[in-house]
Amino acid sequence: MPEISGYAFPNDIHVHWSLMIVMYPYLTGFVAGSFIVTSLYHLFGKKEFQPVARLALGTSLCFLAVAALPLQLHLGQPQRGFSVMVTPNFTSAMAGFGILYSFYLVIVLLEVWFVYRKEIIEAARRSRGFKRKFYAALALWTYDTSPEALDIDHRAVTILTAIGLPSACMLHGYVGFIFGGIKANPWWSTPLMPVIFLLSAAVSGIALLILLYQVTARLQRRAVERETVQSLARWLWFFLIITVTLELLEIIMLAYEHSEEWAIIAPLLTTRLQFSFISMQMIIGSLIPFILLAIVVLLAAYLHDRIRNTLTIAASLLLLLQVFSMRWNVVIGGQLLSKSFRGLRSAYEPHLFEKEGILTAILLFIAPFILLYVFDRVLSIVEPPAPGGHEREGERSASPGQA
Amino acid sequence: MDDNRSTRRDFLSNAITLGSGAVVFLSGTSLAAGEEHPAERYDWEAHRYAYVIDTTKCIGCGSCVRACRAENEVPDGYFRTWVERYVLSAESSHVDSPNGGLDGFPPMQAGFAPTKSFFVPKMCNHCKETPCIQVCPVGASYRTRDGVVLVDGQRCIGCGYCVQACPYGSRFLSPKTHTAEKCTWCYHRVTKGMKPACVEVCPTATRLFGDMKREDDPVRRILEHERVAVMQPHLLTEPQCFYLGLDKEVR
Amino acid sequence: MEHARHVFRVLFVLLVAVVGIVLVRSFLVPASYGLYGPYRFDNVAEQAAIRPPLHGGAVACGECHEDRSKAVAAGVHRSVSCEVCHAPLGRHVKGGDVVAPMAVDRSFTLCARCHRKIDGRPTAFPQVVLEQHVQGGLEGRVCLECHDPHSPKL
Repeated sequence: MPEISGYAFPNDIHVHWSLMIVMYPYLTGFVAGSFIVTSLYHLFGKKEFQPVARLALGTSLCFLAVAALPLQLHLGQPQRGFSVMVTPNFTSAMAGFGILYSFYLVIVLLEVWFVYRKEIIEAARRSRGFKRKFYAALALWTYDTSPEALDIDHRAVTILTAIGLPSACMLHGYVGFIFGGIKANPWWSTPLMPVIFLLSAAVSGIALLILLYQVTARLQRRAVERETVQSLARWLWFFLIITVTLELLEIIMLAYEHSEEWAIIAPLLTTRLQFSFISMQMIIGSLIPFILLAIVVLLAAYLHDRIRNTLTIAASLLLLLQVFSMRWNVVIGGQLLSKSFRGLRSAYEPHLFEKEGILTAILLFIAPFILLYVFDRVLSIVEPPAPGGHEREGERSASPGQA
Repeated sequence: MDDNRSTRRDFLSNAITLGSGAVVFLSGTSLAAGEEHPAERYDWEAHRYAYVIDTTKCIGCGSCVRACRAENEVPDGYFRTWVERYVLSAESSHVDSPNGGLDGFPPMQAGFAPTKSFFVPKMCNHCKETPCIQVCPVGASYRTRDGVVLVDGQRCIGCGYCVQACPYGSRFLSPKTHTAEKCTWCYHRVTKGMKPACVEVCPTATRLFGDMKREDDPVRRILEHERVAVMQPHLLTEPQCFYLGLDKEVR
Repeated sequence: MEHARHVFRVLFVLLVAVVGIVLVRSFLVPASYGLYGPYRFDNVAEQAAIRPPLHGGAVACGECHEDRSKAVAAGVHRSVSCEVCHAPLGRHVKGGDVVAPMAVDRSFTLCARCHRKIDGRPTAFPQVVLEQHVQGGLEGRVCLECHDPHSPKL
């Protein structure tokens, strides 16, 4: 039985939304954030993101594949989960899951298909036996690799990214709306919630891509492009500043207006969430990466590549923690306070081996990386060099100056 | 080559026409639609229920909590109705609800000298503009025509969104059925002309259940002539549980 | 358009998938869904019949226990339903037949639940400080020694 300080409504003392509901926005945050990175190249044409464009697309797809699992594990009646798609009640933000998830899944699958179609066909032509059949099926038995067809592919990719970017944002933004629309809970109820969730997703996606780029480039013995790392760091820094500004703004506004909800939110922040909010989310998770990235962005010209890589890797790791603790503080924090506004319950502690426990969460986080490895084996995460000896960005096999 | 292409194009266009027709037709219907719902002896259009709680009369005996638990097989540790005690002075306040008031209330020391105290029974307010129905993703939560908010235990997926959305803490996820549950105003009793179990056993006439569509209904008379309050009115959920004798400290 | 054939193929696959989903969906929507709102109307009747009512009310007890019922109605406990102190009717009688003896609680805890003096009860309500109510203290005493629960006023 949890301990209550003050008075809580008798039914309020149970934390129904567990670690799984923390993991779900964490995972869809990576989906949206990676797609934002890939759109920087495929839609906005920023050449410095070309080395990570396919990696980001693959990451988005792999996290999307796993994203529905925490929800299924959480449902009291998971075998009825499909009802959300059959009879969605459209006044509910949660009902949007069925449509948004399916729609975005289709968009990403289509985009992957158009991006990789040429390589799939070439792989089909190169292979024999089962592998040939597999790649041919993957290409939907089309074999047209003429320049006109490829040109249509490029245009399709641009259009799909243009549709996919707001879809990815909606797929993660609606999760923020799920919380923001609950007038019963003052810690959740704010119009800023969808925006904070989405910007936080961009932070997590870019941070993850920075780490994945470093890891995959070294594993596959490719060069780590200075411009790519620098641009990723810059965008990460900007998104971090906006995200933390909004997160703090919400609390400052609550404290300033000093309405009845502040009476319970102030003790919540200073007692139950002291470690996870003040120490983890704000100081370790936001302030330190802000300083690290400020060095990378503002002192770009003076930095050795090794320092740039180290600082961005450190900042990204801390930001992955920051985004997780932000999700934790929103989801769990909101359930620690009672709707009576007179009581807080003791901290929620997930167990290691339960259905919605710590081990499950770790496995859910690792699974997309395994899928990404499979993705790379089937469809490479790196764009192949153009024929005819043109040296394209990111394809230099060995280069000095990398750590 | 040209013949093949036009045949393929014709096939595609025919398929698309047929397909979209099927989509339009089927999207609106349910292929498994049954016959008309068999006529009920109970006509839900003839009633509109409301509940009044007179907190000046409650003695905190907890009979209502016990009766509800027995009548509705409520799991331990969860409450479809509960009673709160408010012990107040001009500056301080203390609220408690030991086990929801199930075994009554023990004597207590508030840590200050109380000048007024009272009990407030609570349950689902069966609001007209409920946040809980609004957020149910599958339409398992609904409001009947006679004004009772119910949960379809066979469609509820146990997501817990309604539990989070209720401002009054009246819902919970049952550990037995893993679906959402709450006070139903004993719908299985009121449809037979009986009163909810909590109203039936209340020894001091604190709890009153009535029908706004009945001419001489005492609850209707109270709502028409007495000064009543509801919980958290600023949220505009339009609760149908009305309280007499409330204090500013009650939320 | 020669080179856009692969686009049409993809769109065709999508179309087939959408039609398939809509077809499957129409089999999965429950029968009475949507009749009166976004819910399954059959559930209304299900909830009305979810279980037989357990409490009968004091009037129901009077059908068999007429004398007792009249005695209570004449005393100060007239507003206290039999089921408050005893168990709900459904535990004692099912389908008109007695299935188990009715529970009788003779402890002073039962009486104290209503009549012990605590903060919160209306001052006009009869309540006592139990420890001071009886000469010689509470040890081993029960209220029923002096008070008839069906007509308790002395």
